Amino acid sequence: MGGGFRVLHLVRPFLSFLPEVQSADRKVPFREKVIYTVISLFIFLVCSQLPLYGIHSTTGADPFYWMRVILASNRGTVMELGITPIVTSGLVMQLLAGSKIIEVDNSVREDRALLNGAQKLLGILIAVGEAVAYVLSGMYGSVSQLGVGNAILIIIQLCFAGIIVICLDELLQKGYGLGSGISLFIATNICENIIWKAFSPTTINSGRGAEFEGAVIAMFHLLITRSDKVRALREAFYRQNLPNVTNLLATVLIFLIVIYFQGFRVVLPVRSKNARGQQGSYPIKLFYTSNMPIILQSALVSNLYFISQLLYRKYSGNFFVNLLGKWKESEYSGGQFIPVGGLAYYVTAPASLADMAANPFHALFYLVFMLSACALFSKTWIEVSGSSARDVAKQLKEQQMVMPGHRDSNLQKELNRYIPTAAAFGGMCIGALTVLADFMGAIGSGTGILLAVTIIYQYFETFEKERASELGFFGL
Amino acid sequence: MARGSSQSQSSTSASGSRPGVVAPRGSAAAAAGMRRRRLVGGSSSASGPGSVGSGSGSNMLRFYTDDAPGLKISPTVVLVMSLCFIGFVTALHVFGKLYRAKTGAGP
Repeated sequence: MGGGFRVLHLVRPFLSFLPEVQSADRKVPFREKVIYTVISLFIFLVCSQLPLYGIHSTTGADPFYWMRVILASNRGTVMELGITPIVTSGLVMQLLAGSKIIEVDNSVREDRALLNGAQKLLGILIAVGEAVAYVLSGMYGSVSQLGVGNAILIIIQLCFAGIIVICLDELLQKGYGLGSGISLFIATNICENIIWKAFSPTTINSGRGAEFEGAVIAMFHLLITRSDKVRALREAFYRQNLPNVTNLLATVLIFLIVIYFQGFRVVLPVRSKNARGQQGSYPIKLFYTSNMPIILQSALVSNLYFISQLLYRKYSGNFFVNLLGKWKESEYSGGQFIPVGGLAYYVTAPASLADMAANPFHALFYLVFMLSACALFSKTWIEVSGSSARDVAKQLKEQQMVMPGHRDSNLQKELNRYIPTAAAFGGMCIGALTVLADFMGAIGSGTGILLAVTIIYQYFETFEKERASELGFFGL
Repeated sequence: MARGSSQSQSSTSASGSRPGVVAPRGSAAAAAGMRRRRLVGGSSSASGPGSVGSGSGSNMLRFYTDDAPGLKISPTVVLVMSLCFIGFVTALHVFGKLYRAKTGAGP
């Protein structure tokens, strides 16, 4: 304990008020898990369509536009905050604990409980804070327009939605469901987005008559209505302002590439020390840190955007503020600000290939930034999350596993040959794929696609493992 | 494989993949398969349940794994609570519409 004052202990008085899902005291059958997962998903989907009661308007610039993809939030709905509270509180706590600002002894049960409690408490506080900030900043119309009663109602709705997301996530993680709530919600949100862009039946009037928003539907519509089929096809493939078929194909291509790369791994043979003849393998994947680098990278970039936009709106003349980013309203997506200069512009993907050719330095800078940021984050992440060579070696040793042909002390050295390389190179690959997706104009941004694919792949693996373990139990 | 998927490794599967449990003897092939599975599962969850920050790549997304003292609620309650919330917001919308219609039709 070390004595003295500890930040964690501040949480203790609140601990008894925090909602806590009971752990499963029995093994939840696979079928039941699927049911729990589906119901949670259903609740999430309903919440992300249900409009908030009492809001006046949601038009105008949306400062969080860039974060919506990774935070599974939908504007003007109950899920306005999405998973922001949990992710933010989790990140903050991880960083605080990882950098030893708050001391946590993972072997002490109470400490773990306190840390979990602190995370949850912070999540709820962030939800409350953000809800208040949203309402006061006039995102739904000014408070005088809304009326005090409605403003309070909005805050309550947002807070409660935040608590529900926390509970659902906990429910899924405590063994009642498959995977974690957060990744499930992110993936669902992105997939919904892609499906919508492909098959959306809404029409948009863009000067040349009504056009369908969905790429596939628009293609058929154009093919049927236009007399010149070749030009119709060209239009369907290359229209600029709305999702086109090329975007859709790019999305599918990226999907396949990522899945192909997921299979790349180095398999290290390991052998058990006490049970003779027990052979096993320890695979080190190319995507060792999975989607973590892009989550961190996009968190960084979206925070940069947010700060830069706020500053630009207040002090647009300032030299340093302009250096950080210049913003302009986009013509297409109503009232949305896009970066046109400064640092924010250079870390944004070029809008198209033509844009890239016109401004090669931008493209180059973006590429270098993405690759190095992803590689760096990936390497940092293995240290912070405890999956570095040292930790893995310790884990294997605890399980009495050795690598045949190597001495015990050599294990870490041997792992060290692969793990940092895999992390850095894998991070770089992830970055490169994101860039590729962005350049090809894949639907839902490169980051979004990569997140979705890696999450879905993880789900497949979980399914397999669950099935296998179930069979294994019956097989015994 | 163990790394990426460990995120979804839940506390229940830990019971099936506890390291050090020697598999009972079955047919050789099946036993080998079990062992391998066990190893893979074990290596990813070996850091112990709930040790925050341990484990793999996307483990950050898995926060609450340990039991903590607190307001215990069962999973059904969570689901019912969420449904009630959805119902509540919907009801607000409905009453809001009714109220507005009434005041609009009145004076």
